[in-house]
Formats: sequence, C-alpha cells, structure tokens
Amino acid sequence: MNLAGTDLLLPDRMTPVAAIDALSARLTLQEGAGAERDLRFYDTFDGLLHAAGLAFVHESGRAVLVEIEDGTEHAGMPVADPPRGIFANELAPGPLRDAVAEIIEVRALLPLVHIHLAERSFGVLDSAAKTVVRLRIDTPTVVASPNRQLALAPRIRIAAVRGYQKAFARVRATLVDDLGLNATDRSVLDDAVIATGARPGGVSSKIDVALARDQRSDSAVVSVLRRLAEVMESNLPGTIADVDAEFLHDYRVAVRRSRAVMRELKTVFPPEQLARFRGELRWLQQITGPSRDLDVYVLDFDQLRSGLAEPGRSDLAPLLRVLRDRRVIAHREMVRALRTDRAAELRAQWPAFLSELITLPADDRPDAIRPIGELADERIKKVYRRMVKMGAAIEDSSPAEALHELRKQGKELRYLLELFGLPLHPGDVVKPLLRALKSLQDTLGRHQDREVQVAALRSFRDEVSTLRGGAGALMAMGVLIEHLGEDERAARAEFAESFASFASKPQRTLVKETFGA
Amino acid sequence: MTRVLATYNIKGGVGKTSAAVNLAYLAARGGDKTLLWDLDPQGASTYLFRVRPKVRGGVRKLVRRKSDVENLIRGTDYERLDLLPADFSYRHMDLALDAAKHSTDRLARVLEPLRGQYEYIFLDCPPSISLVSENVFEAADALLVPIIPATLSSRTFEQLEELVRGGPQVLAFFSMVEVRKSLHREVMAKLRAAHVTMLGAAIPSSDEVERMGVDRNVVAEIAPGGRAAIAYEALWWDVRRRLTGRGPGAAA
Repeated sequence: MNLAGTDLLLPDRMTPVAAIDALSARLTLQEGAGAERDLRFYDTFDGLLHAAGLAFVHESGRAVLVEIEDGTEHAGMPVADPPRGIFANELAPGPLRDAVAEIIEVRALLPLVHIHLAERSFGVLDSAAKTVVRLRIDTPTVVASPNRQLALAPRIRIAAVRGYQKAFARVRATLVDDLGLNATDRSVLDDAVIATGARPGGVSSKIDVALARDQRSDSAVVSVLRRLAEVMESNLPGTIADVDAEFLHDYRVAVRRSRAVMRELKTVFPPEQLARFRGELRWLQQITGPSRDLDVYVLDFDQLRSGLAEPGRSDLAPLLRVLRDRRVIAHREMVRALRTDRAAELRAQWPAFLSELITLPADDRPDAIRPIGELADERIKKVYRRMVKMGAAIEDSSPAEALHELRKQGKELRYLLELFGLPLHPGDVVKPLLRALKSLQDTLGRHQDREVQVAALRSFRDEVSTLRGGAGALMAMGVLIEHLGEDERAARAEFAESFASFASKPQRTLVKETFGA
Repeated sequence: MTRVLATYNIKGGVGKTSAAVNLAYLAARGGDKTLLWDLDPQGASTYLFRVRPKVRGGVRKLVRRKSDVENLIRGTDYERLDLLPADFSYRHMDLALDAAKHSTDRLARVLEPLRGQYEYIFLDCPPSISLVSENVFEAADALLVPIIPATLSSRTFEQLEELVRGGPQVLAFFSMVEVRKSLHREVMAKLRAAHVTMLGAAIPSSDEVERMGVDRNVVAEIAPGGRAAIAYEALWWDVRRRLTGRGPGAAA
C-alpha cells in the first residue's frame, strides 16, 4: 500500500483522464489492474503513530500498521468492521497488537480520516514492450460523512523498476517539465487531515513556548500560561467523554503547571486576581483528583497483581470490580463539576485575564517588567537551594511528611526548569539537572505512592469483603499491602543516594554557574 | 531466510526454464521478493522477461566478484520479481569458474550480498554435468528437477540422487506430461511408487506453455485458470510445503 513518498501532484484543473491522455501522447502506456479502496485511518489524539511515521489503517476487513512513507506493512490481522475507537489491549493478541501497544501504550486509537481512493495503474513500456517504469494515478476523496465528500488533489506516484533508472528519470522529467506536475512530500493522509480542518500529527500537549531572556516577565508568563490553558481546553472534551486516561492526565498536568507558575512567579500578577485564580485552579485540581487516582489504580492493576503469586493473583478479581465501579462514579462526579457554571466561568475568564494582564498597571506587580531571564533564574536557584537544605535535614528518623514536602518542591523546580529553564538556557546545561531531579523525584514518588496505595487498599476493604470471593480477595490484598510497605521502605532507603547526586558539589556548581550566584 | 532453488536436469528440453519462470512469478505474486538468475547462455528466461541479455564485464568478472551484482539486476514487469540476466559469455562459465580459486562455491559467493534482499532466489541452469552444476549444487537449498515420464527417466532420477548425495534436497516433478499416453501414465505410477521424494504435481504438455515464447509471458498471465497455470500453482504449493518440512510426505 503506497500512501506517500515521491508523489507528484496534478496541477489545478488537470483531471486524471487529461493527464493520462497527455502521457499517452508521449509514452507507451499499458494499463494494469485498477482498484477502488476505502481506507480508514486511526491515530491517538496526540498523533503517536504519526510521530513514529506510521499509520493504522482499516481496509476491507483487515487492520494494518504501515509506514506512511512507502506503505511497508509492519503487521496486520483481520478486523471485521472498522472500529469506532480501540485500545491496543482490545485487539486480538498477535504482532499487530504488540506493535501498536508499544507505541500508543494506554492511549485509544480514534478514527482520524476516511479516504476513498480510486487507483489506476500503468506500466511505461520500452521498445521491447517491457515495463521500465510503473506509475499509478490516485484520485483521493475524503469521506467526511456519508453525504459530504472532499476531493483532494489527484496524484501520480512513479516507481522505478530496478535497473531502469534512466527511464525513470525520463518519465519523471516528462511529468514535471512537460505536464507541470509538482513533487510533494506530503502524504495523502496529511492532505486528507488538512482538508478536514485538523492538523497532521494530532494535538500535542507539549509546552514549547519560545522565550527571550530580556522579555518582560509578565509577557513571558502569559505566553506560557496561555499555552497551558490551550492544553487544558483541548483535553477537556476527551476528559469528559472518558476516551482514554491520558486526556485527564494531560489536563491535570496543565492545571498543576499553571498553579506552579502562579505560585513561583506571583510577583507579576495583581494580588487580588492572583488569589482568585489560584483558588479556582486549586478547585479544578481537587474535583479531578479522585477520578485520576482511580484511573491509575485500574491502569496499574495488572502490574500490582503481578507482585502476587497464584492463587492470590486470581483472588484479586473482586478488587478490580470495586475499582472499576468507583472509577465510574468518580468520573460521573467530576463531569458534573466540570459542567457547572463555576467551571464555565473559569474557562471564559482565565484566558481573558491572561490577555489583559500585560496592560494592567504594574504598581502592585513588582516584577512585571523585569526581564524573565533574571526572574526565572532567581526562582530556579532559590527552589534548588531550598531543596538542598530540606533534603540535607532529612534523617532516617524524619517523618514521611518531610519527604512529601521535598517532593512538592521538586515538582515546582521541575516545572520551572521545563517551562523557563529550557527555553532560556542551553539544553545541555538544563537537561542533566532535570535528569538528576527526575531520578530523585522517582524515588520520592515511589515512596509516597506506595503509602497512598496502602491507604487506598485499606479503604477498599469493606466494600471488597461484601462481594463474592471477597474473603480471598481480602487475604490477597493483605499480602499486597505488605509488599507495598516493603517497597515504600526500599524507596526510603534509596533516598539518600539519589538525593546525594542531586545535591552533589558539581551539580550545585552547575546551578550556580547557570542561574547565577 | 533466503531459499535458493535451482531448476536442473542433466538433459535439455525438459521444461527447466518454464518451471523457473512460472514458479518465480508465483513466488513474487504470493508477496515474496524473488530473484531469478538465468544461468543458461541461451538466455531463454531473460528473453521471456524482455530484458536485454547483457551482463557488463561478462562472466569472468562476475564469478570473481569484480562486478557489482546489485547493478546487474533488472526488475521485471511484475512487482517483487527481479532478474539477473543471462549473457552470451556464460557459455564459458566453466572455464571462468575453473580459473578462479574456490571454483565450486563461486556462484554461492556471488549470491551472498543478495541473500538479505530476497525470500527466494531461483537458478535457471543449463543442462550439463560440469563445474557450473557443481556450483549450483553448492549454492542451492533444493533442486527442482523436471522429469519427462518416458523410458530411462527413472535412471536419470537415480543418477541425480547419486550425484548430489549430501547436497541440496532433490524435488523432482513430472513435466511435459501427456496423460493420453499410456506409457507416461505407467512410468509415472512406477516412479511415484519407487521414490517418495517425487512431487505430486505434474506439468502437462500444453499449448499455453508453448505460447510462453511467443507472448513472452508466464502461463498465469497468458491463460489464467488454464491447465498449465493450475499445474504450476499446485507445483509451487507442493514445493513450498516440502521446503518448510510440513505436511505428509515432507522430505527429511
């Protein structure tokens, strides 16, 4: 299946039939088998397959994973009807499922675009009537709905026959120079996606905001927060529709990052509005929390269960039921909250506030017009130093809260580095620091997550015990709680080491050199 | 994994080229990248695929690996099916092989860089017992041997098994069969009883096969669904089954 590559687009107003007539006047063509094809493309919301150069296509009872560039098939299997949306683990076990799962993980494949392709194939013959070049004329149409079709530019794909490169060059020259066809790098797939008004490659939740060191701080902060608001907005419909767990996750990360920016760079905001929006975003974080927690429990259930030997492993089934039921309820409650007037007002007022921020008087915003390079460096340095101090004070006998507090600071530092450190400094300086921080955060996160998981498992006990098989499940959960407790202690034991590398002398020097003394 | 299959018989005019061309076509049509090397200086397969019978540098450079074999390959009219053409200098292939070091595995070495590119490589061999055939036995995983069911054909078969003992798998099949001839029917029954490695499929003597040379095409394109086309499909199915070692009667 050839989808793109060295295709040539027909000029405006040239129909495929006219192109064939014009070609026949110049070359000896022999028509081969043609085809009418219906291709339904799928990708995740954020275009994970596209980013890997791949496409998931359903065509006449078969689903395949192919290279967009040249149509090389990676894997395929029969799938009777085009699915409306599908998770990797809903595909039958086999190479297709494995290949897809590796790329999309927990994301859902969603219908991207439906293309109807009318194909005509020709061989260009030499004087011995041998095929020396193959060409195919495709007339693609986007089937937007049963009664709405969008015609795309017809294209000719020419393929060389091995050993006949000269003939290929000649045919290509005829097409380009005589008939006025234009080479295109864009695949039919991307053409079709653009025709539907979408962006090829899906909707990203990445925050790539370019900043200049001498930019006014408030304007830099606004660009970052606007992008974060965009991410929240684009992930909201999928969160409400419960398409896959990543929508809510990306939504919440954007909320958390926005809050961190407001907290760390509060001096660019007027205090009154700052307090108000901080409160509102905190509320968003709270109403979406339980749903996310349960998403994680359900997603991690298999991994959690793998820590048990049989028969405990299968005894856990009632727990999964409880988790799933609770997840449904939590999601319903979250959707209700997200549909309140309060949420609607916030969605309208938050971007409006960001738009007017730099026009507001700077009297009560002491750092508004300071260069962002200076301000961000100051904050990064400050939070880093605070973490070094807090971490150094943690001993074996320190309460768990001390580690939790350190983790919170770690998150703030991470967001500052990602949102401001990376755009304002060379990556080779910031990235090693981010890596050391990430490894520390992983240890701290594991420590805290285990504690939370243990508490959650305990809270499910009553409900599980009322179900059939509940007694067995409770015993298995007891074993799990023990395992999780062990892992929590192990993470705590690893803390000293990962903290030491984060707070090491070379790291401290690096921070000092990069972000100022 | 690349499998090298050679159509071979000591005798000429038994349907070697016809088998090589039609089976290679079927392999490619089935989705596998396939190469056919026309080793016969007469260049019948090359002619059928309308490719110029020309190997730059001739056989001497080719067997000494002084020419880049990749550049000598030509695509055919069919997707996934390529041809390494014949050249008139192949009539001196024996001499060229004899003059080179490691004279019995020269052809295998020529194929080495192509092994990763093709699922199947077919060798269409000239009829003889010579250094060329020794090279073919060295390079091939299996010999596909067309046998005309006539007197002495049993003798041919035994000679061949003797010749390649310990070498490639021998897969013989009946070729140019005229079912109305009682002699053909008798010989076929006898040989099948005596040799378990004899393939079940038999290629009939037919107009379609003869028309290949006129139309310069394969039987599946000349007369799809015809007797010969069906017979080659059955033969290819049978060959593949034996190669993968599955199914009843698979050779050890």
